[in-house]
Amino acid sequence: MGAFHIEEADRPHIVRLLIIWVILSAIGIVGVLQINYPPYDQSIQGQDQASTLKLLTALATPVFIAVVMMVVYSAIYFRRTTRELVDGPPMLGNTPVQIAWVAISAILVLFLAVVGIATLSNENAAQLVGAPGRAIGGGQTGAGTSGEENKEIHVQVIAQQWYFTYRYADYGGVETTHLYLPVNHPVELHVTSLDIIHSFWAYQLGVKADANPGVDNIFHVTPQKTGSFQVRCSELCGLWHGNMVDSEGQVVSQSDFDTWIAQQQKDFETIAKAVPSYAPYYFPLPLVKGS
Amino acid sequence: MAVRTRPYEAAADAEALLDTRLVAIGTWLFLAAEIFFFAAWWFAFFYLRALNNNQAWKAPGVGPPSKGYGAVVLALALLTAVSYFLGSRQPIRTILFRLLTPVALVFAIATCLFQGYEMWHLGFGLTDGAYPSVFSGMTGSWLLQFALATAWLGSIVTQTGPAGDTVVRRQPAASFAWVLLFLGAVGVVNYILLYLVA
Amino acid sequence: MVTPARVSERRLSIPNNPITGIVLAIPAYFVGIWLGTLFGLNDERNTGVILGYVFATAAFLAGVGFLNYPLERLFGWRVTPITDPDENRGIGRFFRLSLDHKVIGIQYLVTILLMLLFGGIGAMLIRTSLLVPDASITPAGNYLPLIGLHSVMMIFITSAVIVGPFGNYLVPLMIGARRMAFPRLEALSFWVVPPAAVILAAATFWGGFPTGWTGYPPLSEQALQGMDSYIVGFTLIAIALVSSGVNMLATIIGLRAPGMTWTRLPMFVWGIFTTSILGLLAAPVLAAALTMLAMDRSVQTTFFLASNGGSNYLWENLFWFFGHPEVYIFILPAFGIIMEVVPHFARKPLWGYRTGVVGLFGVALLSWFVWQHHLFVSGIAPVLRPFYMLSTELISIPTGIIFLVTLGTLWRARVWFTVPMLFCLGFLFNFLIGGISGVYLSDVPTDVTLHGSYFSMAHFHYTIMGGEIFALMAACYYWLPKMTGKMLSPTIGRVHFWTMFIAFNSTFFPLFLAGLLNMPRRVSTYDPSLVGLNRWVSISAYFLFASMVLFAGNLIYSWFFVAKPAVANPWHARSLEWQVPTPPPARNFDRVPVIVAGPYDYGIPGARPVADLGGMVGATGGG
Repeated sequence: MGAFHIEEADRPHIVRLLIIWVILSAIGIVGVLQINYPPYDQSIQGQDQASTLKLLTALATPVFIAVVMMVVYSAIYFRRTTRELVDGPPMLGNTPVQIAWVAISAILVLFLAVVGIATLSNENAAQLVGAPGRAIGGGQTGAGTSGEENKEIHVQVIAQQWYFTYRYADYGGVETTHLYLPVNHPVELHVTSLDIIHSFWAYQLGVKADANPGVDNIFHVTPQKTGSFQVRCSELCGLWHGNMVDSEGQVVSQSDFDTWIAQQQKDFETIAKAVPSYAPYYFPLPLVKGS
Repeated sequence: MAVRTRPYEAAADAEALLDTRLVAIGTWLFLAAEIFFFAAWWFAFFYLRALNNNQAWKAPGVGPPSKGYGAVVLALALLTAVSYFLGSRQPIRTILFRLLTPVALVFAIATCLFQGYEMWHLGFGLTDGAYPSVFSGMTGSWLLQFALATAWLGSIVTQTGPAGDTVVRRQPAASFAWVLLFLGAVGVVNYILLYLVA
Repeated sequence: MVTPARVSERRLSIPNNPITGIVLAIPAYFVGIWLGTLFGLNDERNTGVILGYVFATAAFLAGVGFLNYPLERLFGWRVTPITDPDENRGIGRFFRLSLDHKVIGIQYLVTILLMLLFGGIGAMLIRTSLLVPDASITPAGNYLPLIGLHSVMMIFITSAVIVGPFGNYLVPLMIGARRMAFPRLEALSFWVVPPAAVILAAATFWGGFPTGWTGYPPLSEQALQGMDSYIVGFTLIAIALVSSGVNMLATIIGLRAPGMTWTRLPMFVWGIFTTSILGLLAAPVLAAALTMLAMDRSVQTTFFLASNGGSNYLWENLFWFFGHPEVYIFILPAFGIIMEVVPHFARKPLWGYRTGVVGLFGVALLSWFVWQHHLFVSGIAPVLRPFYMLSTELISIPTGIIFLVTLGTLWRARVWFTVPMLFCLGFLFNFLIGGISGVYLSDVPTDVTLHGSYFSMAHFHYTIMGGEIFALMAACYYWLPKMTGKMLSPTIGRVHFWTMFIAFNSTFFPLFLAGLLNMPRRVSTYDPSLVGLNRWVSISAYFLFASMVLFAGNLIYSWFFVAKPAVANPWHARSLEWQVPTPPPARNFDRVPVIVAGPYDYGIPGARPVADLGGMVGATGGG
């Protein structure tokens, strides 16, 4: 079982299979590359996720075609042709082939893992821009201190049975039921819940973060295109889980956002006077996450 | 009440041959499962203690119950295990075998009673934070298992009569010693965590 | 060897059968409810309901006869040796506590198929509800209990559907043993299943439970009495998993016939072996978690309440530490079936036997290290995600080995396209899609969109239904001729296969798209733009159900309406279970077989029959 050699009887099959595979895979890969993958490109993170999805599909296509082709080919060319039951050739294995298969699958999988990790760290790294000195995913921050452009906006997403409330910590704790975000501005979402576990899924923005009671779950997003987005709860939260939908999320231009938030602050004035001064910056304490 | 020795002998012979290995294997498999069960509780202990959500690992004023009492319970459990272990290794029908096995049962019953008493008088409420929850769950599960083991030990003792199962089928009785030792060891870990690490 | 002196022949005189069990269970339930009220706690009768279920189950098991052995020991009476299965050959033995592994296998088969029917009806109701994008067909208050019932019933079923019927029936036959290691434990692993199913169904009377099978607190603590059904039912299944695990492993380790070396073990047995390791070790973690949930709900502890020192992540970690090996418990026996059945119909040795075994163990081992991929978006520390992404991606390598071995066996074979073989090929297609979609979910960036959506729903239905259930169908068509003595009709079987295969893919493939198009799981209302897709899926689901009805019809037709019994070895297979007559004798083998060859030695010149059975001939004269 040492040297790798292809038996005479195997050769025609291998040639046929290789040709079919290359042709079908080429067609398949070209086809899947044409698709516009969610979560599309409304945010930087979403775009990264969409490219990963595209890569995965492009790699999955030849794998899928290979296995299905093998099964169908076997069904056609390796079927029983005699009336009486005849045994096939006594092939017990082929070590080089087995090693090659395991090695190729390992390389594919490790490649995907590396790409995935790289994408993740890119996303995390991108958030350090504009928010120097902060650890990833932790730390309570005050906002509105430095005069940097494009510093992060902090929005607290508060889930409860069965709707979301958004609280703009940097703008006096203004609370709204629809999420408005300025384009090209990094946003740090602090997702939490008042009662049970929900999950904040902003589809077009490529954001999903579970809302746990007493926990501050931080997720970063930087919208890069104006437009609307839909928010749905994606963790079963009781009776009206299916109705926990907010279709009025909007990414708007910076000036539209400034106008809107100023109006919100004005409407919120009377309430803002009544709440303590530290209230806008409330994030659940202690800052615990799982594990 | 006829005496029917022959069919029993034949069946017992055949079963005894197979039992020797199978029960030992089965006991180790069961104990492997038990390790995972208790490990889940130990994980809960360390995890909730590390998180200390809302500083509520222990409400103010909550602490372990009397360490001395807990040590007594633990000692009784260990005595149960050790005395049974020694007894099950003796040749059958010797004085030591006939003495140690019931003594182990007495220790086991005492353990259950003492532990039960402690659980009824914990000195904290179950709603006083996560430590009370973990304490009661961990100790309660242990007690439940120990009580079942005590019942089984009781049946072993009742079968130590001249033709009893404990005598005819020695391996199951010997394997049971490992169960008791395991429960004793878990008791030690629980004691360290719940009373000393707290 | 001891000569017993005077021996008592006293026995307990209650007839032991399920009727006695039910008669005892009903008052025991009310005793439990009453005891719960004594505690006077601020719960909504949760303590009472839990105690009621526990006492009822204990009473049922006592009525069936499980207390006899412990009580006989405790009162010092002569302990009844394992009864000779030659006694007691009537049909009644299927309805009572039997210690014959073949009887237990059949009991399991019928029970689980009945449960499958109920779970399937639940699925049909769900898909009917999803014909419209709002809650007009099924109000929200009915929809949640429905999905809870369907999902948990299916989890109970799929945990046991292969190991229960086929593991119990076939493992001793395949390894040359006359019984299993611990027949009483084996019987217990079966007899807790009907109470678990009944208790789960009973949740309906309490208004069901709102959490689906994952039971996440605090929702599961907010829930009313229906949740207690979940807790007790699932605990019973955990007990079944541990008992079955101990039994299977001890049997395979200790009761192999002489000559049945580890390298001659059939792949089906390896599948059962690896799955039993997982079941044995993972189920106790679930039991601990369920205990904590029960305590939170009844005695008001705070394991899972962040406001009082607990953490919902405690549940999530414990549950998924069990839950991920659990899904491999579903699929490892299915892998075993595929690698078992394909060589016999390809008429070729299994290609890469040792590699296949390594694949099974690889999957089993890695399954312990991946559970946090269910928690990627739940707020775990971000540094953990790369590790679990890597470990989850790695598990596709041993999974791929299963495909390698099977495709290698098909290479240049002489494939005999029987119905079991068709289902194996269907498995390969379905599990390929299921496995690839798993890679999508394991990749954290893509998981952000796909987690908790219909994509993950489609993934697990492809792996569990497209994988395990198709393997189950292969197992039924393959082994029922041995177990029941009747062949299933191949014509109906082929129609069943093609309808099921096409309907299955038509039902579940579009659901990947639904998930990609922003449809979360477990919702009764959805965006109206997805109506067309959902209607297509629901109609396909009806056809899928129809194909299963066809299967049921095939079973009934062959069992009750076909007079001609099957031959002892209709598939001319080499493995040991086919060398005994149909139905197998009470003690399986006339004398202990001596194994001299592997079960897959097709095409090998001069290959000996797999065992020397001492002249035992198939009762109906088959090959």
